[in-house]
Amino acid sequence: MWANAEMDADYDYVGYYGGGGGGGSGGGGGHDYDGSHTGDPRQDMEYERQFQSSYIVPEVIKNFLVFFQKSVNDQNLFEVQNCYENGFNKLTDRFFKNTPWPEADVIAPIVGNDGIFLILYKELYYRHVYARVQSGPSLEQRFESYYNYCNLFNYILNADGPVPLELPNQWLWDIIDEFIYQFQSFSQYRSKVSKKSEDEIEVLRTNPKIWNVHSVLNVLHSLVEKSNINRQLEIYASGGDPDSVSGEFGQNSLYKMLGYFSLIGLLRLHSLLGDYYQALKVLENIDFHKKNLYSRVPSCQITTFYYVGFAYMMMRRYQDAIRTFANILLYIQRTKQMFQNRAQLYDQITKNNDKMYTMLAICLVLHPMRIDESVHSHLREKYADKQLRMQKCDMAEFEQCFSFACPKFLSPVPPNFDMMTDTFHKEPFKLQLRVFLEEVAQQIQIPTIRSYLKLYTTLPIAKLAAFMEVTEEALRTQLMCFKHKMKNLVWTKGTSCLEGEFQSASEVDFYVDGNMIHIADTKVARRYGDFFIRQIHKFEEITRNLQQTAVAAK
Amino acid sequence: MAEAMRGTVASLLRGIDRYNPENLPTLERYVQMQAAENTYDIEANLAVLKLYQFNPGYFQTEIASLILLKALTNLPHTDFILCKCLIDTNRLNELPVSKILELSELLETCDFERFWAETRDDPDLISSIVGFEDSIRKFICHVVAATFQSIEMEKLQQVLGHVTPMVAAQWVNKYGWTTQSNGMIFVSNQEESIKTKNITEKITFDSVAAIMSSSR
Repeated sequence: MWANAEMDADYDYVGYYGGGGGGGSGGGGGHDYDGSHTGDPRQDMEYERQFQSSYIVPEVIKNFLVFFQKSVNDQNLFEVQNCYENGFNKLTDRFFKNTPWPEADVIAPIVGNDGIFLILYKELYYRHVYARVQSGPSLEQRFESYYNYCNLFNYILNADGPVPLELPNQWLWDIIDEFIYQFQSFSQYRSKVSKKSEDEIEVLRTNPKIWNVHSVLNVLHSLVEKSNINRQLEIYASGGDPDSVSGEFGQNSLYKMLGYFSLIGLLRLHSLLGDYYQALKVLENIDFHKKNLYSRVPSCQITTFYYVGFAYMMMRRYQDAIRTFANILLYIQRTKQMFQNRAQLYDQITKNNDKMYTMLAICLVLHPMRIDESVHSHLREKYADKQLRMQKCDMAEFEQCFSFACPKFLSPVPPNFDMMTDTFHKEPFKLQLRVFLEEVAQQIQIPTIRSYLKLYTTLPIAKLAAFMEVTEEALRTQLMCFKHKMKNLVWTKGTSCLEGEFQSASEVDFYVDGNMIHIADTKVARRYGDFFIRQIHKFEEITRNLQQTAVAAK
Repeated sequence: MAEAMRGTVASLLRGIDRYNPENLPTLERYVQMQAAENTYDIEANLAVLKLYQFNPGYFQTEIASLILLKALTNLPHTDFILCKCLIDTNRLNELPVSKILELSELLETCDFERFWAETRDDPDLISSIVGFEDSIRKFICHVVAATFQSIEMEKLQQVLGHVTPMVAAQWVNKYGWTTQSNGMIFVSNQEESIKTKNITEKITFDSVAAIMSSSR
């Protein structure tokens, strides 16, 4: 399968994707799957095509597209951003709420067959199909969208110098995010063999290279390398000027940002495959404890923290997981209103928010510690029941919370089409769930022990053994397990999230001297200062605004 | 040998080439070297498991078992979990992998007595890993050091795998623990580090200075 192992220094992207066609923009040609398509869907397509060709594009859409194209070609970032974030969404709500936008063929004459613009248009077109069109993408559309991404990345990566294209950061992030999402969606679609017709399976079987995990990894790695982003981040973290090492491509904002977002893309992709070490490893040059140029796209920031936190949780680094989740949840709490008028983004953030609160709840049950007051109060309000059930060793609750909050794991390989099982698509999830639940089961006694320890400053082993209804011998084992599981690797310094030292910062700690347990209960007083300081600043701002409006009104 | 390979292997794992199955034979040989020479390279081992994940046809139970056992030698780090997350459920249920999972469970729950009993019953399982038992004893000493201020000598011998007083004394020396007159082993003065704390809020002058100046 590794037909492309002999890649020379400047990888041959087109060849790699196996997308047919020779030239730089030829990926879309020669679809050998067309011939073997099913009868019915093809008729549907035929019908749609006729419908499309006779479909008259409304004037307002035409004008929008022409203006959009002009802004892209003028590299007018402000207008491009406006078209992307407002224009397109508004017209979608008005004309194409649950139906696709006009096909690229139909709008090609309107934009003078502008190849690059058509690729960008199709990026939006397919993304809209995935997100809004009820029947979802057809197999053909999945393939077409894949080819379109190939064309886009070929154009960007195969150029001799930086391409004359400037896109808003949000869009660049969305491209990487969507590329991985569609890969994930395809992998899941492919794994569910039971509902497919023979023809569909045949198409899948004969096109193993489309949405192949190697191709996706290759794109992300290539963008990382082309932009020199790792060197840039390294220099940036040490206080130097990234431009001194960025090179011709890396200086260009398009490449730099795509490189950075690809690192986050790799974090996500590795997490989906259950490789948490590699997931955190790709971030080793990013300094999260320092505000950086790249943190201005909120959805990217949220995705990053979600996957970093999840990886930490799986690695039993609860203290780091808690810190990561609490940080981003506080950030969401403070900035959420900003996204209220962007429905899709707002929904996505809300969903991630709930998932991360659920994981924070899990981590705090396993590793109780004090966190930011406002995050804590929301947690108490919404998740107290769940936490209580988990504290009482309810494994089903752990399972439910994990299933709700975890990423959509996937298998990097196609199923065995000859030996179909109904459960293949669930296997990756079941594996991660199993690992997580086995870990929880190992420490399930700890909350009970802790609840007893809290009541004493010293406690003979014999007495606690009697409370727990176990032998003294068994209790000693459990006490050692308590200490072992509560000693987490904790990040202390440097940019790598993988580094750390062993610490135990759990609220209740103890040691055993002969036959006596000595207990230390760390009480952290509530913090009010932060809250008041924030409120005072807010108040100041309101007064200032009021004064300004009063002046303006005069 | 294994140390000399470390650099070569690291260069194999750079960039996209990490997913090239043609590197598998080299990487698998490297795993065997680690087992024979008591060295350890988690990153290379995870790369092998990832290649198995991408190319299930290449899976070798023997190599996967070595990797899992090596991961146990790196306790208290959670390398074993990282490995487990990359191996198919079916494979995890097969012998000898399932057996190694049981060993891991016993170590993670600090049930050391049963762990030693299991390894005595099936000595072949761990014999391929040079220095396996001492690596585990190191982990056990780590747990003992975290839990106890003082512990009976007999108890210590037990958790270290029913070792002779001589051997136990060597471990006591190694960690600078001392034997007391009453036969107890004094591990460390935990009172110093584990004590009841009341952490109250401290507000720095800097954080208030801004408010003070703006509300003048």
